[in-house]
Amino acid sequence: MLLDNMEKKLRPPELHMTPYPAKLITLTSGEKMVVREAERKETGILLQTILPLLGAPKDFYDVVAARMYSEILGWYRYRVANMFVLVGAIEGEIAGIVTSRMASPEIGISLHTLTIKRGLRVGAQLFAAKMEHHLDYLKQKEVYIVAESPIGFKRWMIEYDLESREDRYPEVQHELGGVPTYSLTRDLYEKVKDKKVTGIRPVPEEIVAASRPLRVPTEYSQVPNSREEKTA
Amino acid sequence: MLKGVRMINIDFSAYEETRPKVEGVVCPTCGKLHYPAPMICDRCNTRRDPSGARYSRWETTELEGNCTLLTWTRVHALPDGFDIPFLQFGIVEFSNGLRASGLLKSENPEIGMQLTAIADVVRETGNKKEWGLVFVT
Amino acid sequence: MRKVAVVGIGHTRFGNLSDYNLVDVMAMASLDAMEDAGITEERTLIDQLFVANMGGGIINHQTGIASALVSRIAMEPTPAELIENGPASGASAVKLGYMAVKSGMADLVMVTGGELMRAVTGWKGTDFVATLLHPDVEYRYGLTLPAFGGMFTRLYMERYGLTERDLALVAVKDHANGAKNPFAHVQNECTMEGIYDGPNAEVVNNYVAEPLRLYSMCPVSDGAASLLLCATDSPLYERFKKRAGIVISGIGSATDTHCVHNRKDPLDLEAVRISAERAYQNACLTASDISFAELHDAFVILEIAISEEIGLFRKGEAKNAIAEGATKVTGSMPINTSGGLKAKGHPVGATGVSQVYELVKQLRQEAEEGRQVADPVHGIAVNFGGFGNNVVTTICSKEFA
Repeated sequence: MLLDNMEKKLRPPELHMTPYPAKLITLTSGEKMVVREAERKETGILLQTILPLLGAPKDFYDVVAARMYSEILGWYRYRVANMFVLVGAIEGEIAGIVTSRMASPEIGISLHTLTIKRGLRVGAQLFAAKMEHHLDYLKQKEVYIVAESPIGFKRWMIEYDLESREDRYPEVQHELGGVPTYSLTRDLYEKVKDKKVTGIRPVPEEIVAASRPLRVPTEYSQVPNSREEKTA
Repeated sequence: MLKGVRMINIDFSAYEETRPKVEGVVCPTCGKLHYPAPMICDRCNTRRDPSGARYSRWETTELEGNCTLLTWTRVHALPDGFDIPFLQFGIVEFSNGLRASGLLKSENPEIGMQLTAIADVVRETGNKKEWGLVFVT
Repeated sequence: MRKVAVVGIGHTRFGNLSDYNLVDVMAMASLDAMEDAGITEERTLIDQLFVANMGGGIINHQTGIASALVSRIAMEPTPAELIENGPASGASAVKLGYMAVKSGMADLVMVTGGELMRAVTGWKGTDFVATLLHPDVEYRYGLTLPAFGGMFTRLYMERYGLTERDLALVAVKDHANGAKNPFAHVQNECTMEGIYDGPNAEVVNNYVAEPLRLYSMCPVSDGAASLLLCATDSPLYERFKKRAGIVISGIGSATDTHCVHNRKDPLDLEAVRISAERAYQNACLTASDISFAELHDAFVILEIAISEEIGLFRKGEAKNAIAEGATKVTGSMPINTSGGLKAKGHPVGATGVSQVYELVKQLRQEAEEGRQVADPVHGIAVNFGGFGNNVVTTICSKEFA
């Protein structure tokens, strides 16, 4: 059929991607967060979750939310090559989302990290899970990373001691606007893995089951008036 | 000697390139060692004047060599200007009784271990190099 | 004899207030204290303002803060000065306000402390606090207060057998209290499983200045607190008699060596001990009279070390009391019922005033349910400046105790 051939032309070539095995992380509050790969059929919930943050300019939430919204829509419509989405959920309620993709069998490109539930290092854990997937499960050699905010720079460029690729610009540039690109190589990953990556596997069946269906968060601390503010 | 030119005493050693040192001072009256330099000796009340105009400048004593590690830490949250993941620091005691804080370069630090104190670059702000104590095994 | 009563208290939420202006935030707390005392319309009765702030000139690019505050709350021509004593600025301002009233030079004064630390990035904030250290011999190395906290903790663990588990217990207790305090910066509770013995605790509660972890250190906060002090033998005091009287029964302060390496014994917090001794003497009380305490836990180790230094427990033994639950709200010696600096937050210039706010709130028996101490009589607050080189201790009591 003409439509099928056209659709084939519009879709990117696919690499084989090993699924990410779900894991369970106990956060400092005692809450248990399941980190697992999201499925395309969960796109609606993911987009609904991200939408309110388009209007939150503080801490660069608006640009991260806008870009992640388009990434997930692109992934859903098969217009972004070899992308994966990991979600962190506490009893099904989404606490954070990360997006990333394979540019080639060896090189990964980290897209975005969005934390909805703040104060518990959810973002740090989901970013680490992203790196774990690229290097341990997808067996890649390195991941290109950029930061849009100072917090991102501190958590990734400094804490992971990433290698700068600025001197190889423009041959090496990150698709998110060509801003200074850094790389997490396998060597660097092995050095920090013990301190950064955690979680227990396998996740008990009933806990994985409780993470389906995913639910939109009940409050957004980044959006004023999204919950009752305590006053004096 | 040119007419009208008076003989002046200039200390040309100020222009010599010296090996950087980290120094304490010695009270000229009672000999107590101090690090860092105070403006008055807390033992005998002798005053110090860094300009030398009103009181003596006090002799210096170099902090270097053998010292004992009193305590240490590895810090992962560094202030502005440090783009590295962590730094190790320690407080040591020298055999002359002086104590000091400094950078610690040791793989497996332990309280009570013997270290050697050397002067080295500890911070670079723009073009300026700042010297301080580094404790090595 | 002239006593100094606390007749009004005000406090903002602690947390991220950097959308607002520093002096506006301090004004909020000040006006809340006046409202609490019922004198907003007659605020020109206040003889003098004592204002505490540490970083305004460095991180907020503002100086002359006391003068700015006067106009913000429309109180010209009231005299006002700024007091800066590092993280002990707040209690120093309380001390000077107390001294002004006690000396007879003033009858009614206001003490306000505030800070807006989150106006800059985390590492500029760390750098700002590090300016407390000696420039040549400490600061230049990249040393920070947390670095000294880490070194102190390591030595303390070696000498007294303190463990990371002991530190975690204190954090859990502080967060449990903070969760009930609507002003606390951190409202999340934490669990032992989450921060200490759970499978992910080592990574999720990572080291910051070993052996101190993320959950052994207070957050960086914005906020302000305010008090009104009145002489009990002044005719003005009549207005405030509707409420049970709370007085500052004793105040003391002391200094120690600027360089941490020059302390006589690296584990002795001399300035804490001497300031507490002076406060006890001033109040004619001893440690055994104290019902509860607000202690400066910028690092959780300090809650432990200070409690011992001021005589609430013997050296090295606080950890046993903590393990038994003695420092919980329901225990025999409740410490940091507000959540402490750990959960309530630490806007450095405000903390000392905030601690006295909590002493008064508890003595008035007006604290939120679940964090009110049963029948307190005397409360003590220790505000720790620098790494312990300038400490102010304040004791508050029921007026007719």
